[in-house]
Amino acid sequence: MPNALGEFEQLILLALVRLGDDAYGVSIQAEIARRTRRDVGPGAVYKTLLRLEEKGFVSSWLGEPTRRRGGRRKKHYRLEPAGALELRRSLAALRGMTRGLTPTLELQ
Amino acid sequence: MTRRGFARDPAPPRAALALLAWRLGGVHDEPLVGDLIESFAERAQRDGSVAARRWFWRETARIALQSWPAPRRTPPAPTETPMKHLLNDLHFALRMVARTPTVSLLTIVTLALGIGATSAIFSVAYPALFQAPPYRDPARLALLWERDLDGTTSNIGFTTFRDLVRDSRTIESAAAMAFWQPTIVDGQQTERLQGQRVTHRFFEVLGVTPTLGRTFTPDEDRYQQNRAVVISHGLWQRRFGGDSSVLGRALAIGTYTVTIVGVLPPTFESLLSPGTEIWAPLGYDETLPWACRTCRHLRMVARIAPGISVSAAEEELSGLMAGLVQRHPTEYVVPRMALTPLHSYLVQGSRPALLTLLGAVVLVTLIACANAANLLLGRVLRRESEFAVRTALGASRRRLTGQVITEGLLLALIGGALGVLIAIGGVQLLVRLAPPGIPRLDQVRVDAGVLAFTFGLSIAAGLAASALPVLAAGRANLHGILKSGARGLTIGMRHRLRATLVVSEVALAVMLLAGATLLFQSLGRLLAVDAGFDPSRRLTMEVQVTGDAASNDTTLHAFWRAALDAVRAVPGVEHAAIASQIPLGGNLDMYSLHLEERAGANPAEDPSAMRYAVTPDFLAAMGIPLIRGRWLTAQDAEAAPSVVALNRTAAERLYPGQDPIGRRLRVGGGEDAPWRTVVGVVGNTLHRGLDAAEEMQVYLPAVQWWGESGMTLVLRTQGDPSSVTGAVRSALRSIGPPVAVEGVATMESLVSRSTAERRFALALFQAFALVALVLAGAGIYGVLSASVVERTREIGIRSALGAPRERILGFVMRQGIALAAVGVVIGVGTSIAAGGLIARLLYGVRPHEPTTLLFVTVTLGALACLACVIPAWRASRVDPVTALREG
Repeated sequence: MPNALGEFEQLILLALVRLGDDAYGVSIQAEIARRTRRDVGPGAVYKTLLRLEEKGFVSSWLGEPTRRRGGRRKKHYRLEPAGALELRRSLAALRGMTRGLTPTLELQ
Repeated sequence: MTRRGFARDPAPPRAALALLAWRLGGVHDEPLVGDLIESFAERAQRDGSVAARRWFWRETARIALQSWPAPRRTPPAPTETPMKHLLNDLHFALRMVARTPTVSLLTIVTLALGIGATSAIFSVAYPALFQAPPYRDPARLALLWERDLDGTTSNIGFTTFRDLVRDSRTIESAAAMAFWQPTIVDGQQTERLQGQRVTHRFFEVLGVTPTLGRTFTPDEDRYQQNRAVVISHGLWQRRFGGDSSVLGRALAIGTYTVTIVGVLPPTFESLLSPGTEIWAPLGYDETLPWACRTCRHLRMVARIAPGISVSAAEEELSGLMAGLVQRHPTEYVVPRMALTPLHSYLVQGSRPALLTLLGAVVLVTLIACANAANLLLGRVLRRESEFAVRTALGASRRRLTGQVITEGLLLALIGGALGVLIAIGGVQLLVRLAPPGIPRLDQVRVDAGVLAFTFGLSIAAGLAASALPVLAAGRANLHGILKSGARGLTIGMRHRLRATLVVSEVALAVMLLAGATLLFQSLGRLLAVDAGFDPSRRLTMEVQVTGDAASNDTTLHAFWRAALDAVRAVPGVEHAAIASQIPLGGNLDMYSLHLEERAGANPAEDPSAMRYAVTPDFLAAMGIPLIRGRWLTAQDAEAAPSVVALNRTAAERLYPGQDPIGRRLRVGGGEDAPWRTVVGVVGNTLHRGLDAAEEMQVYLPAVQWWGESGMTLVLRTQGDPSSVTGAVRSALRSIGPPVAVEGVATMESLVSRSTAERRFALALFQAFALVALVLAGAGIYGVLSASVVERTREIGIRSALGAPRERILGFVMRQGIALAAVGVVIGVGTSIAAGGLIARLLYGVRPHEPTTLLFVTVTLGALACLACVIPAWRASRVDPVTALREG
């Protein structure tokens, strides 16, 4: 399973689904932080997106530079069909493994 | 600046940003660093700037510690390879060349001229100066000389040669050589050949094997046994049609017959005696009067033993010579020998001229490079904004530099390709015009070596032309250009770059012009020199008689008397004389003089003088003035008392402060030589060349000397001297014996031939200096024009503020003239410093002659003014309103 998604990859792809057109480094990071209470670094996010893009799961384009970003441009991301398919597969696998276990896991 | 007091967004730590830029290598940094900065701003608002900075540093450290993929798949995707870069650059450079055809063509042509001329001179100079002589192991070959008291070298006597060869351990083999001009008599066809008489190991010393037959045996190298000859491939083809049965064929040479025993390979070059086609054994032994120790008329070539240095061999031979001086103190004076490596010996004559010319063409090429640099610089400056944008879009500086260099190389390589054509034509022209002194001229051609040289030179020229523009492209202030659209380089910087080019062009042109002027002045002074005789309406020819008439002194004297009578009868001949040698004729007969007053002196220390055996009409035929006493007359016959006439220098040196008339001296040592009474003193003539120093000369009646079969005939004619040539030839033939006539020349052509090398160097230098002047003028003009265009706005303001036109005109003129002045000062300084290089080509002028430097300064000054006029006029016509609106 060379294309199997890692956990962090799943989180990022899910963030893309949630953010729609507004997905870029900072918003993805904020979305994950808000929902998972995890402090993920911009470097990790960016590097994972690079990897996903290399696999063809996401695509990107450069936006306009803004003053707030020190004159640097934003890199926008969008979920590609291949990425969406892989995400669905990955979540299905997870659901299959967790079915019926919820009470046990929640007890611990 | 107190903006710190206002609420200002806190900035992320600069050091961290720099670290990120370095770690991410400009590929990923833009969106990622943008994200970091954006988050930083949020955190700074929420948690305070200290916490935000701490966070920023932590994230930076995490990013720095991660591995980052190579920048392959990331936008903007630089998918180009170096090869693609090159093709792109080439394509771009071609487009630039095509878009500015006139300027590009001009640059290419100037580069082609420089490169072509350099290659042509190089192909002449290379075999002459740098290629080893085409003999086996040539580094071990050397010429050996005896030394004179004044430190000069002289030829060697046969007995000395034999002693040295026998006793030396440092020379492997050696040969002695003598000049020889045999006349082949073959039915009606009489031909005088250039030959050499050599001791039998000569070809072995050089390492030459004949293609047909053999070389000489020791038995053939004996007196009157030397009847074998070896001939050159050229003579074999020309005279015997390449017939392989030529071996063993008999050849009538003068009074005797020789046999051909060998034919040399076509590749053999006779460098020790250019033009030689026939070799015979020397045939000397120690008993012969002309083999004596003081009979120093042979040249000696030796092959040094392996592993022995030239200086070691010289040391050993000098030791042997010291032994000879001890044993024969009346025959030698200087206990030293001199060795000249063969290669140095061959190049020493033409080296200064060729090296100077090589220097001159390098200067021309440098000027062409400066012009090309100016062109490229103009393009770089016009494209500053384009370069800035491309840098911002991710083009590396190296890419931009590469583009400038590609363009420079393209221009230079096209120039080089044209240069090859120029070199081919130039070489043919050079070989045709070159004076005879340049060795191995027949080997000169544009071959693979020359092509490689031209290619290398083109590359070097291209790189040299790109250097300054690349520097300019590197200095461009990209940030400023992007921000305001202004020019990146300040006007001052642009001006300095251009000024550098103009100053160098002017300085180079000054050097070339100074060289050309010095050579011109030298030639003028040389031609104004009084040669001591009158060259106008004088005809000379070398006459060789063979057969029975040449058998003894009596028949020879009789023949020459008959010859003079026959020639005097030719209409148009006023005076006719026979001489053993004439000034500028190329021969050199020196004899020692032994004065009666110093009869007890060591004969080895006798002074030597040029000896002329002449007939009475010689003085009138040559136009040499009589100073004291009387000249030789018909009364000074064979049986009459022996007499001699001296030239002024001989009279002054031999009898300082005394009257020489009536004194007695011996010419050509030996106890049996007669005492000759000095009867008169005549004017000096310049024998070796117009630039020769005055030397002692003595004149004897030809009939009071032994008879010679080859003499020079001198005629003074009523009209054009060459018109009597045919009649004189038939008159000589009508006497009877077979006669060969060679070297028919007017005295004027001999004078002109003696200056041939100088005129050759001068003609080339003048051509180069002219090219240099045109290029330097074009350079000044181009720089000023560009500067005026760039300063249109400034000039407009000045003019709007009320500066009169004349002042603007003067302002631009001053600018151009100032540049030229700096160039002239540098050029003159360099010329003075480098003057020594050309000194050996000069005559009567010093390398730093003030008049020359003044002339050069004035010429370049005038040129600079001329080049300034149009740009200055254009500047004075600038309309302030238009200038300010457009600028």
